[in-house]
Amino acid sequence: MSHAAADIRLSRFNPLPRILAFDDFDDGLHGWCELVGNHNGDLNELQPVFKDMRPAQLSTCTYFDLGTHGAVDGTYSMKLATRPRKFHQAVAIKRLTSAADGLVQFEAWFTYKAEQTFGGDDTGARAWDGNYHPSEAHFGSFTLWNDICEGTEPRDRYHAALRYENTNEEGEFTQRWLYKTGLHPTTRMLREGFDSNQNDVHVAKPDMWAPIPGGDQQLCFNEVPTKVNWHYLRWLFDLSTRRNTELQVNDLTMDLREIPVLRFDDGYWGINRLLNLCMDVRTTSNVRNFLYLDSVVISADW
Amino acid sequence: MRHSFTAVIEKNATFDGDFETEPYECAWASEARWFIHVAELEGDGASLSARVQVSPDGLFWCDQGSAFETISGPGMYSLAVRDFGGWLRLDCGLDGEDSRLRLMIYLVLKE
Repeated sequence: MSHAAADIRLSRFNPLPRILAFDDFDDGLHGWCELVGNHNGDLNELQPVFKDMRPAQLSTCTYFDLGTHGAVDGTYSMKLATRPRKFHQAVAIKRLTSAADGLVQFEAWFTYKAEQTFGGDDTGARAWDGNYHPSEAHFGSFTLWNDICEGTEPRDRYHAALRYENTNEEGEFTQRWLYKTGLHPTTRMLREGFDSNQNDVHVAKPDMWAPIPGGDQQLCFNEVPTKVNWHYLRWLFDLSTRRNTELQVNDLTMDLREIPVLRFDDGYWGINRLLNLCMDVRTTSNVRNFLYLDSVVISADW
Repeated sequence: MRHSFTAVIEKNATFDGDFETEPYECAWASEARWFIHVAELEGDGASLSARVQVSPDGLFWCDQGSAFETISGPGMYSLAVRDFGGWLRLDCGLDGEDSRLRLMIYLVLKE
């Protein structure tokens, strides 16, 4: 029996041999904090895309019709919430460093929702029919990603980012997994005039995402905005190959070893052995979008 | 060890009219303290009012009963709140002519 299977709280995870963090949000936010861009003390210097990424919340999943939903176990989950503004993005980050090159695994039990709205004017195929609910189309995407930097040399830094796109920029259902094909515009790049729409922290332009082969997936939104069903997610990446390895979401496992991960040509100072893990949610409508995490396990083979 | 969390509810935000802060979940905490750090408050007769509001669901709101004293210039202001249920926000009014405001708003929760 593995060490995780012997522990009732860990037995719903499949961690690598060394657990770096077990973040059960029933007892706090465990170092998941709001991402903020770089500045010199003057917050007017923050680039627009980094200005307002919202504080994480300890949520009870409470709704107007049923009261408190709670989490997989206990009452609380970590909630990321956007503003009710198209393309707004809420981002949480956990900051570690790596002691060796090798495998790192991020596991989570998560769910996602758009905020309840009233008196909507959705018609036709988007109208409520007793099963389908227009709230599902109000949800944009959520993304898991990392920020890795081995040292100060050129090409030492990279971000892997995997996005579940429920609706595209036009608000049309796509329900698939994506990887990014453009660099994350850093504060230094944006200050140097890098051309970016500044409405997605990951890429400069919306066409800088590509579908993961075999990555079509319909998740369990569960019909209305007030029922939450928790999903299992496992993302494995390899610091020695600088690549993703695989992503499992419930019964779908995607081999990611051939998916390219772009590296920065320039060197970055002061972030040696950086190992940041991030989660975000981004709305494609003028409705608040929520990403909830019941619990997270980060593990490594080193 | 007591649990505590500080959320930056508004970060260097500018306003030229009334506004409500984003809903924030706080069911886990029994104590809350708001801080408003006004960096700029400009305009003829400009002043800021801020009332604490609560909600059962994060959708529909009512006054909790506490309010900041009227703010009429830059500085740090604070207000403690208890017995607030599961959600908190501020309902803010900006008075005066051609008024403009730049501020930080913090919510400090403790259990």
